[in-house]
Amino acid sequence: MGVSEHFPALIVVIFFITAFISPLLYRWGRKFSAALVIVTIAAALGMTVSLLVTVQQAGTVFYHMGGWPPPWGIEFKADPLRLFMLLVVISVSLWIFIFALRDLQHELKKRVIGWYYTLYSILVGSMAGIVLTNDLFNLFVLMEICAISACAIISIKEDRECLEASFKYLILSAMGTGCFLLGVVMLYMATGYLNYSFLHLELAEAFNYYPRNIFTAAALFIVAFGTKAALFPLHVWLPDAHASAPSPSSAMLSGVVIKIYAFALFLMFYEVFPRTLLEAIPLNEIILWLAALGTLFGSIFAMLQSDLKKMLAFSSIGQIAYIFMGIGLNHESALVGGFYHIMVHAVTKAMLFMAAGVIIYSTGVRDIKKLAGIGRVLPITMIAFTIGSASMVGIPGTGGLISKWFLAISALEIGRPVFVIVILASSLLNAIYYMPIVINAFMQQEDFKKDIKPVPRVMLACLVIGMIFIVISGFYTTPVVTLLEQALALYF
Amino acid sequence: METLGGIIDNYYYMVAVILFVIGMYTMLTHSNMIKKVIAMNIMDASVFLMFVSVGYAHGSQAPIIREGAEIFYANPLPGALILTGIVVAVSVTAYALSLIVKIYRYYDTCDYDEICEIRSQE
Repeated sequence: MGVSEHFPALIVVIFFITAFISPLLYRWGRKFSAALVIVTIAAALGMTVSLLVTVQQAGTVFYHMGGWPPPWGIEFKADPLRLFMLLVVISVSLWIFIFALRDLQHELKKRVIGWYYTLYSILVGSMAGIVLTNDLFNLFVLMEICAISACAIISIKEDRECLEASFKYLILSAMGTGCFLLGVVMLYMATGYLNYSFLHLELAEAFNYYPRNIFTAAALFIVAFGTKAALFPLHVWLPDAHASAPSPSSAMLSGVVIKIYAFALFLMFYEVFPRTLLEAIPLNEIILWLAALGTLFGSIFAMLQSDLKKMLAFSSIGQIAYIFMGIGLNHESALVGGFYHIMVHAVTKAMLFMAAGVIIYSTGVRDIKKLAGIGRVLPITMIAFTIGSASMVGIPGTGGLISKWFLAISALEIGRPVFVIVILASSLLNAIYYMPIVINAFMQQEDFKKDIKPVPRVMLACLVIGMIFIVISGFYTTPVVTLLEQALALYF
Repeated sequence: METLGGIIDNYYYMVAVILFVIGMYTMLTHSNMIKKVIAMNIMDASVFLMFVSVGYAHGSQAPIIREGAEIFYANPLPGALILTGIVVAVSVTAYALSLIVKIYRYYDTCDYDEICEIRSQE
């Protein structure tokens, strides 16, 4: 086996190593440091793909840190579902980083760009860890690393809005991790384990003796991951944080970071808590209704915004709710829809934030009303924005339709047609605030009188890649859906 | 009576939960940012207290192996984990305080309500 045996650990570790080396290289030149980060992410991507091939042939891979077997040591688990998440996280990170190379020079002070690379590697590394880990305390540590680095890539742009937004995010996410750790204590008290697999076996029995502990833990986990993933009533930090951040950070935070926590909640429900718990208390119902409210209110708030990035941020609240809906429906094809949405929304929202970034880079305009006629001066950007909007609404031919389709079909299958109506209503609401921008950008005759800075080719290339992916994911769905169905079959 | 006896026996759990609620309430409602950070630390400390006390059972001793003696050991694992937790809490505190310093330079105040007022006047 050789080195490939250690891939699960290496995928996480190389990011932390890069995080410490890249500031040193930055002293010699920005290019070296940027190249190192790109090589690291690409290497992690390669390792993920090779691990996925191994896992599909030989089944789930467990990796014991330092050779200590679990319950004592930390265990990493690589099953097809986690590797799918990892693939999404790492490839979207690589794509956003390439966009960031040019955009950051315009948004950040020159001396902090090197530190941005460090924070970015730490963020990606911690997210890879959250996906792979099979140990609750390890998850806690990685969540804190992820929270600090996510706040730091906002506050690195040292203006007032960013600092305030990042402080708000930090406090609420500290509340989230506090609740999470208390939940971990409750489970540890009842079972004496921190490893997911051991907990799952032990909790089934412990549930008969200490039901209150386990109920409390479940409630605390919903609050913790709900806060971090911006589930509807706990979303208050998100709009400021995602709107004020530099565009690549917004793309990263809205595209990937919030979904990691939704995935962590999924793991808690399906890997840690026993089935009997989910039957005993209506946890799924709670999540389902919060998600339904989230899809509607996220869109309604988004309609009221005049700032382009703030509108996109509010739209994320509505979109993350689809993923929670997938978890809440507790049905295999609903989860396929939820996970497909993780992938599609990661690409779509990241691309929309990139398009917003290009608009701000080139014209400095953030106000939605002033965007009229911009399609004539920035055609590629606005075409990307149009395709992104179409995917958000769920127009056929884009990836957004597929995930909503799966969610709606499974809602019908288990006899909950209410949620089909919710999905339809929120799609219409999405159309109400996305389409006017697109229509005004292309149809309005008035000339766009601002000074236009030429847009670097790298940034446009990134937008084109996003467009192509969204269209492909709308037509050629079989490979991903088969992968997800196989992966999710292990959980049912 | 049985519940009450249980509470008195495990009073450290109760203390931890009360501290947790105090911390969380202050963190979410107080407008002073420094106090928010202090409250965050109270909240973290309460969770650590709870975690460490899980490892202790009545009459147990420090987990140092002595040959030949039959000793009832306390569980060392929570202590080791909480050491990591404390480090994490310290780094979050340091980062939060550094953010407050930067915000203070812009507004000359640490009070969130006053900041909102200043922003609304602009």
